[in-house]
Amino acid sequence: MTKAGKTALIIGGGVAGMEAALRIGQAGFDCVLAEKEEVLGGTVLQLSSSFPRWENPLELVEERISQLKLCGRIKIMTATSAIESRVSKHGYSVTLQSRNGETTNLDIDAVVLATGFGMMDVSVYGEYGYGIYPEVVNSLEFEARIKAWSAGLGKVPEGVAFFKCVGSRDRSKGYPYCSKICCMYTAKQAGLVKDMFPYTKVYVFYMDYRAAGKCYEEFVREVIEKKHVTYVRGRPAKILPEGGKLLVRAEDTLIGIPIEVSVDIVVLASAAVPRRETGPLAEMFGAKADKYGFLERQRFSLAKASDRVFFAGGCGFPLETLAAQQEGASAAAEVIELFAHE
Amino acid sequence: MDADTTYRPLFLNHIDDSLRTEIKRNCSVDVELCMECGKCSGGCPNGHVFDYTPRKIVQLVKLGDRQTLMTMDALWICLSCQACVDRCPSGIDIPAILDYMREKACRTGAKTSRPLVRLFHELVLSSIRGHGRVSELDVALKYNWKAGQPFKDARLGMRMLFKGKFRFYGNGVKQRAEVRRLFEKSVIAKDVS
Repeated sequence: MTKAGKTALIIGGGVAGMEAALRIGQAGFDCVLAEKEEVLGGTVLQLSSSFPRWENPLELVEERISQLKLCGRIKIMTATSAIESRVSKHGYSVTLQSRNGETTNLDIDAVVLATGFGMMDVSVYGEYGYGIYPEVVNSLEFEARIKAWSAGLGKVPEGVAFFKCVGSRDRSKGYPYCSKICCMYTAKQAGLVKDMFPYTKVYVFYMDYRAAGKCYEEFVREVIEKKHVTYVRGRPAKILPEGGKLLVRAEDTLIGIPIEVSVDIVVLASAAVPRRETGPLAEMFGAKADKYGFLERQRFSLAKASDRVFFAGGCGFPLETLAAQQEGASAAAEVIELFAHE
Repeated sequence: MDADTTYRPLFLNHIDDSLRTEIKRNCSVDVELCMECGKCSGGCPNGHVFDYTPRKIVQLVKLGDRQTLMTMDALWICLSCQACVDRCPSGIDIPAILDYMREKACRTGAKTSRPLVRLFHELVLSSIRGHGRVSELDVALKYNWKAGQPFKDARLGMRMLFKGKFRFYGNGVKQRAEVRRLFEKSVIAKDVS
């Protein structure tokens, strides 16, 4: 079955974008998958394991890349960004620019934005000293540490503290919303540290843990009960460097007393925020964004942002890998429906 | 949590798991299962007079605070009514923890804010040990004497005596040796720690 003349542009080659491109391509339409970085995979490439099954997320990326190549209808353009778009007769005329300056003009019938989410710059919290103390890192940076440890590199830490809700659920310097994924990936990271170094003390500072998903609650309980990660209820107030270590001050709000703990590394679960690129792209295609910069869907639609413009994944709101795949497939379904009726 | 002139917050690095593992081994209670929901405390009939509510007691075990656990008021106000265990979504047996800590407090001679409750507790247990069941007269007289109030409830006691509520002899069960054996067994089991 061939359907000539219909092309979809997918901007962002992460899990959501790859899923959307693959589904549209498999339905018999042409696709261009534009990725800003040199390789496909997006944020997932940085992750060392996944919840709730402790699976290697790289296997998913590898499988999708080989499927994309096998499909035959998908053109993958890495190190490429969309810089301009004009409304044309059937959709948009888009100018893509590669990293070395080459431009390509493309007539497309629909676009799927899948630009993902980023991490808030948490150096605004002077009390935590992110950017000042090298051992205070955000969760994505900590994934690189985990990878180094599992390759046998780096020093074994005596203590690691995880802070949740750094920037999320914060109406003064951060964002009022819950970033949704931090509870789960923090549990995952804490569990991985315990797996590698059973004698390392691991503390997770939390206000509450939100584990809404299949096997999520069980996952967090496993980390607490089987891997013996210490969950301390309270939002830490201050990090002080003391004797080459980091002294964390907080209140144990369950018992109501101030506490201190000395650790080697502090991991800040920074708020997930829209990427800088998402705003200009949304403007380019007339997609509506909410007050934070996340894309908004039209009423009763799964993925439609405006006419012939769809989105999927973290550019709508932070989400886990599986949900990003699902959103990619949803966007593909809407694109396929649109193409099939023309 | 002793009052100290130089204030220091509780230092988590110094907490060892020994109390938690001890309780797990001796009472088969795993406090790590606690979800901190407070259902135990909300339904506790004596919760309003506890200095540490049942939820906080579990938290004290997690924090390894033996001193507070052995000297707190709640240790002697708990009725062991089992409402908390019955309602706990994780099935944490808080009265078992308290039983264990009471034993420890008695044996180590830890200070208590409720010496009379503890006295009563010890008298009841020793009466059961001696007679195989509680002898009310025995307990009441010893309690009043040791509490320094020998004539407390004397008139009520007289009335009960005339109505035949007290018995001076033949109060014990037949197989006292069996009961005593139970006591010895339980004490030995708990001394293993």
